[in-house]
Amino acid sequence: MYVRSITAADLPALLSLARSTGVGVTSLPANEARLAARIEASLAASRRPAQPAASSFVFVLEDETTGQVVGICGLEGSIGEQEPWYNYRVGLSVRASRELNICRKLNTLFLTNDLDGAAELCSLFLHPDWRIDGNGSLLSKSRFLFLAEFPAFFHSRVIAEMRGVSDAEGRSPFWEGLGRHFFSMEFSHADYLTGLGHKSFIAELMPQHVVYVDFLPPEARAVIGQVHEATRPARAMLEAEGLRYGGYVDIFDAGPTLECELLQIRAVRDSQILPIVLGSPPVDGIPCLVANRHLSDFRVCVTPVAPDRHHVTLTPSQCDTLNLQAGDTVRVVPLSPRHRLNARVHSMETPS
Amino acid sequence: MFLIRPIAQADLPAMEALAAASPIGMTSLPADRATLRARIEASEQAFAATPTLPHDGQYWFVLEDLTQHQVVGMSGLKSAAGFQTPFYSFRNEMLIHASAEMGVNNRIHALSLCHDLSGASLLHGFYLHPEYARTPLADLLSRARLLFIAAHRPHFADTVISEMIGVTRTDGTSPFWDAVGRVFFGLDYAEAERICGVHGHKFIAELMPQHPLYVPLLSAEAQASLGQAGEAAQLAYRILKDEGFESENYIDIFDGGPTLHAKTAHIPSIAHRESYTLSARAAPAAQPDNYLLAHGESADFRCVLGTADRDADTLHVEPDLFAALRGRAGDPVWAVPFNLPKGAI
Repeated sequence: MYVRSITAADLPALLSLARSTGVGVTSLPANEARLAARIEASLAASRRPAQPAASSFVFVLEDETTGQVVGICGLEGSIGEQEPWYNYRVGLSVRASRELNICRKLNTLFLTNDLDGAAELCSLFLHPDWRIDGNGSLLSKSRFLFLAEFPAFFHSRVIAEMRGVSDAEGRSPFWEGLGRHFFSMEFSHADYLTGLGHKSFIAELMPQHVVYVDFLPPEARAVIGQVHEATRPARAMLEAEGLRYGGYVDIFDAGPTLECELLQIRAVRDSQILPIVLGSPPVDGIPCLVANRHLSDFRVCVTPVAPDRHHVTLTPSQCDTLNLQAGDTVRVVPLSPRHRLNARVHSMETPS
Repeated sequence: MFLIRPIAQADLPAMEALAAASPIGMTSLPADRATLRARIEASEQAFAATPTLPHDGQYWFVLEDLTQHQVVGMSGLKSAAGFQTPFYSFRNEMLIHASAEMGVNNRIHALSLCHDLSGASLLHGFYLHPEYARTPLADLLSRARLLFIAAHRPHFADTVISEMIGVTRTDGTSPFWDAVGRVFFGLDYAEAERICGVHGHKFIAELMPQHPLYVPLLSAEAQASLGQAGEAAQLAYRILKDEGFESENYIDIFDGGPTLHAKTAHIPSIAHRESYTLSARAAPAAQPDNYLLAHGESADFRCVLGTADRDADTLHVEPDLFAALRGRAGDPVWAVPFNLPKGAI
């Protein structure tokens, strides 16, 4: 399995993947024109000089033995360039009367554009049949090596929106408790429209004033900043990489937005450039993400790397997959935050 | 024979008894002797004063049964609501959330804390012994204040307001309070009303929200009670609605009851009153009309309800009314028909 930059030929595979996502992956709508435009944007971004506002990259996970595309992930250099980016900021309002000895601490939701302009990890989707053998980690974390290699294409603040809580029918308790009052529309439809780029129109209908969380029904309050059950592993993975919930949630389902400075992401910070050597991967190596360093044909796979050698040993077949020539260098980082390369140099190994 | 006159210290026991019987939510009428005594003193000062605007006159009137020598009702009038402390209301607002592209145009009802009504003259503390609730004496007790305003027009504001007690449950709790006030105060409704009656409204600013509240987020029960006058306020509400008071724009921040408001100059009992020469009538008239009659200024103000016979600029009244008004023949008397002309203003 390996991750590579998307190509124009991937459209049919992408469309069929999008149709199987269900509700909640707003940046991957099952809309052919929209997906075609995303592919075109990704191809265009890699032909242009670095410019966050124009950076929109899409990658796919492919089974190299069959050529089947089974997953997708994306990176945006700077969100909100086409239209404003909206979040609710979960805030605190303290109302106090010293004379009456009353002090009320009330959580509030305030519609903001605070995250407008940030870089975004987006569109992560892996076909359910392929959620095995670390494919999810490879797909998601491959993007960190791209960020590490091409930071100039991205805003220094990186965010990831996590899918919020919804039930089997796609109903979101937060939407039912708040959004529904402000315009009559099913959550799934609102979600779809957002994916089509109509998010700002929807935001115009949302409350512009502070909403006191106490006024929401308990079911809605309970899911603010919470992820969908299926998204828990993804959240844990991103948190292990250093991303944190900073109080921003999605305006529709109240799913948390995780954030981190680009250079502080573990897989970015700890990645390094090493030469390749042809041979057999070391039997006692630690699993590492290994990426070529091509902007327009970026490729990443996972392979064992000996922690104390200053090179990466790849088979000729792996070199083909990653489109590498003899003498090339690769960017490499351990797949898991528990591991470090060059243990002799970096002696402070994190205990597992 | 019933008379409206300014309250006096001798009325304290009667006032106390009325306050004890008045419903919860009537912050202007706390069952607290010291507070009531202070109110009467303030009222006596107000009636005695010759104010220059702006001032803080707090007038109290009593309805006295002259035959039984008994006070059976009381009503209050403040020259300026929120004179020293702000007068808070929620203003009903309609926020338009529209998107042509989405084909959506929603009107969202929101409540904004405001001081809009600060400085308006306030009708409050209307309370009548239940025995007389279904009689015209209720109208006399309420409307006498309007005649007083008319007779002392420079002392009062251009807007007159009155807060109506909102809807409460049978146990005395308030659905609106439970949905709104409790969130910000953390107190029971009764406790909050008590604090407000004793400590004033200052702490509202410290605790209440600065941002509009979205009505669709409130409980269905609270939404249903919003802007509705409760059972206890139906009488006061009906009388002021007949006087053309508007009920749509403002609500009480505690119980969600409507705060009525009207332009002083447009209130029928003020606009339609006319001055006549007072005369005592010897024999009953052929075609008597029902009038509210007011005579005297400030502490001498008297108001009664009764029949009178109009003869050009002279109003002939029954001898007992004449005596109750403490008038002399030839004095000016102000009169307004008991039955107001429909839609005249």
